[in-house]
Amino acid sequence: MEILEIKATKSSPKVSLNPNTNIHEISGESYPENSYEFYEPIFDWIEEYIENLGDNEAIFNIELYYFNSSSSKILMDMFDIFEDAGEEGKKIVINWIYESENHAAQEYGEEFSEDFENMTFNLVEKSD
Amino acid sequence: MLEQLYKYKSELKKDGIIFSFVGPISQDVVEGIGSVLREKMETEDINSNTSLKVFAIFVEQMQNVINYSVDRVPENNFDSHISFGMIIVGQNEGKYFIIGGNRVSNVQKERIEKKLSILSNMDKQELRAYYREQRKIDPDEYSKGAGLGFIEMAKKSTEPLEYNFEPIDEENSYFTIKTIV
Repeated sequence: MEILEIKATKSSPKVSLNPNTNIHEISGESYPENSYEFYEPIFDWIEEYIENLGDNEAIFNIELYYFNSSSSKILMDMFDIFEDAGEEGKKIVINWIYESENHAAQEYGEEFSEDFENMTFNLVEKSD
Repeated sequence: MLEQLYKYKSELKKDGIIFSFVGPISQDVVEGIGSVLREKMETEDINSNTSLKVFAIFVEQMQNVINYSVDRVPENNFDSHISFGMIIVGQNEGKYFIIGGNRVSNVQKERIEKKLSILSNMDKQELRAYYREQRKIDPDEYSKGAGLGFIEMAKKSTEPLEYNFEPIDEENSYFTIKTIV
């Protein structure tokens, strides 16, 4: 599998998916014009990646300063995929990273973490 | 016409309107106006959580107009990424208000009214729970995004969403919706 790198834009996040290190990043902001279109290649990559993951641990570092409601649904769908993988014994770790003053990011992270049991969902607070 | 514009601008100022845009709206407009709005709020030293809420509501409102306005550019192309609508951002008595406006068909009006009336009776906790519930299921066939925009707006608003449908003709109405932060 190839590395998938997408540069950040004003309304879409930086995405870095690496099948060699198994450390991945989604960071910045997410409010693209069409979130399904933007995230489709990412979902395709993730699905193939998970199939080939085997025993390795996959770490997703997610740091989104702001995301719109469409993106919130996308994240939910993505976490559902990880949850299913977790149920099959795959090791998935999510680090939900947020700045301590960003109450919305913290709250969304807490809500996501409550919904999932079969992956490790860490809330990582950054203080300046 | 020119002589009346200063008076018009002063009326806007009196109503606390910072930003008033009526015209073709696309993602470029969301990004452009969004940027300047954020910068303005930052320079005014507004609490960052408040300015993020205002920005979030602004994006949801704008993207609703882009997705659902019946006025498209070019006309009648429902897949076009440019639509016609209105967005107003202002400040009144220490709070921000964001108003979105666009033409809708009366069929859309019924669907929107149904969604909004469900929300109007919910408190913050109920809205949060409803949002989480709706986010888990697939959006209905009429939704272009995730179908969560109104819930997101209601969650972030300090008061229940205020809205109006102004009849235009038998088929269409002008829909406006106001959020306060």
